[in-house]
Amino acid sequence: MPKSMKLTRPIGQFTIGAWLLLAVTVLIPIFYGIYISFLDIKLSSFLPPQFVGLDNYVAAFKAPETWSTLKITLAMMILGMLVQIPLGMALALALHRNLKGSKIFSSILITPMLLTPVAVGLTFRFMFDTDLGIINWVLESIGIEKINWLGQQTTGILAIILVDSWQSVPFVMLLLVAALGSISPQLYEAASIDGATARQTFWMITLPLITPTLLVVVMIKIMDFLKLFDTLFMLTRGGPGNETTTLGLWTYKTGFIFLEFSRAAALGVLIMIITAPVYFLWRRSTKEVR
Amino acid sequence: MLNSKTIRRFAGLASLSLLLAACSSGGTDSEASGEINIFLIPSPSSTSIQSFIPAFEEETGIKVNVSETPYGEAHQKQLLSYQQKAGAYDVAQFDNSFLKPYCQAQAMMPLDAYLSDSTEYDLADFGQSQQDYGKCNGETLGLTLSTEPMIQWYRTDIYKELGLKPATTWDEYYNNAMKVQAAGHGGQIIGFGPNVSWWWMTMVWSFGGQLYDDALNPTVDSKEAIDATNFLKKLMTVSPKGAATANSDEVTSKFLGEDIGAMINYSGYYGSVLDKTINKNEGKIGTAPMPMGSVDITHLAGWNIGIPKDAKNPNAAWKFLEYVLGKTNAKAYLESGAAAIGRRSITTDADLLAKFPYLAQLEIPSSSRIERYPQIAVWPEFEVAAIDAVTQVLNGKSDSKKALTALNEKLKPILAKEPKK
Repeated sequence: MPKSMKLTRPIGQFTIGAWLLLAVTVLIPIFYGIYISFLDIKLSSFLPPQFVGLDNYVAAFKAPETWSTLKITLAMMILGMLVQIPLGMALALALHRNLKGSKIFSSILITPMLLTPVAVGLTFRFMFDTDLGIINWVLESIGIEKINWLGQQTTGILAIILVDSWQSVPFVMLLLVAALGSISPQLYEAASIDGATARQTFWMITLPLITPTLLVVVMIKIMDFLKLFDTLFMLTRGGPGNETTTLGLWTYKTGFIFLEFSRAAALGVLIMIITAPVYFLWRRSTKEVR
Repeated sequence: MLNSKTIRRFAGLASLSLLLAACSSGGTDSEASGEINIFLIPSPSSTSIQSFIPAFEEETGIKVNVSETPYGEAHQKQLLSYQQKAGAYDVAQFDNSFLKPYCQAQAMMPLDAYLSDSTEYDLADFGQSQQDYGKCNGETLGLTLSTEPMIQWYRTDIYKELGLKPATTWDEYYNNAMKVQAAGHGGQIIGFGPNVSWWWMTMVWSFGGQLYDDALNPTVDSKEAIDATNFLKKLMTVSPKGAATANSDEVTSKFLGEDIGAMINYSGYYGSVLDKTINKNEGKIGTAPMPMGSVDITHLAGWNIGIPKDAKNPNAAWKFLEYVLGKTNAKAYLESGAAAIGRRSITTDADLLAKFPYLAQLEIPSSSRIERYPQIAVWPEFEVAAIDAVTQVLNGKSDSKKALTALNEKLKPILAKEPKK
């Protein structure tokens, strides 16, 4: 028996438990999902499932909802990141300066991260209520007319991004604070001796050195937006109509409202295909961070 | 002659068979001990049903196990159970919109044999529309658990102050709302949010339209449907702004908690009128029949409850249904907070009418055409498409004709998926 085989065998034995767990919780559901996407399983039909080939994928590509909900998902993702990353970075930079009260400030900022998205969504739904919500009450008290926040696409998307940002910015901030902490102070000292301005220091030292972490943050946020569900569900349920429905929510509606499991599985596979490049980029960026 | 080894083997096999037989007779044991599992969906009806369990258990010796599942996942769970023929439930509460899918799947047990023998349930105490409410292909698959026609609700104080009467036509309803709004109140409220389909289809029927014809071709682009949708949009102008996103529960809480002249909603919400934490206008809520369009229709909704075909203990299940929903406990059932069941002996009872004036609205005249949730398996997909199209109109992104023509096209492949039998 070759020597290398002898070495790998015990390792295989040690990892078999992890592989089994992974298979039961991840691999089998994924392969089963792919398998049923080629059938015609409907929960409301008691007929035996038939093999339909690529029909569910063709239907998904033909359905205007697939594209409109993908567009909404991308819009939310881009707008969300435009809000969350600069804001998270600004807060991280402020905290990194270790000013007086920074610890209390960071503790308060982290609180939204600890809350359940469902509870947050429900609370904000009341806050955004057109007639009774506190947000419109404040707007009215300063002479601005009531806004139908959740009843229109633009304001609905804006509300979802605001709520998601309220919960996600602390996470971005925490990662960036850690990245900032890993930069050697000697670099800043050298820059200061060389007469670099604060702006130059940021662009030439800080930003390049936290870029790998920023990439990780971007990848995590992309994946977060692709699977955004609970806050969105509680706030608008994808409404008005389907105007704030993301691809993930549309998949849920297809599976659990229309009871079309195979069609939903095909949509799930499509989401997986969309997410795959992001995943590989994320793997690369985490390697760089290491 | 048998030797001792053979005898021992035989005895061993016999013991094993007896043991297996004892283990496999779980169902029979369960029947003998009279145990039933009931599946309920959180609602006032479910709460009331549960309040009868201790007395039922004491009287019959049948043990009742309750499993409650929220509406959003209840029917999915039931369907999974019926597909597996697991016999998990002996009694199941379900929404009337699922009657057809359950019927197509032959998931529910026909109750007609039980009904014809039961003087306690007394089917003749129900009007024809109520007798037909749980029927599919001529068989009764579900008893009526609540009778909830869409009715007109109004604020008696505001209407009195302005000299208004409950509307009998949609034009009157709109004019009343305009007057109420001009006097500084909210004119009226219906839900333009995620449940807008409920009001939209009611309008379409009331204006003389249909959602689809007998051959399952969509007909939502008809003149009647377009007029109905335009009227729905017109009602937005006399509604508080928050109605734009309100679901049916929010419509009710806004009407009862704010200053709004009238509401069109299901009668089943009367329980909220009696709840002082929700109703800030106690003693000022009146009810009347829904206004009429070109056709006199009644949009009838409400829960059903039945016995799944795979039930392990159907006789005990029927006994339970008869006990809770029979004539003897009918008054107590209503008084325990449930949405009313349209029994004639209940809707015409003077004492109950004094306490629950809305019961008069459950006496649906035979001249009124009954419309129910569309009895099609593809209804959820149909409904989401309709909500999307109607919302486009309400938001001003499209006009009724354009949106409904597009909807009609979109519904063709959806309706084509409907199983023909």
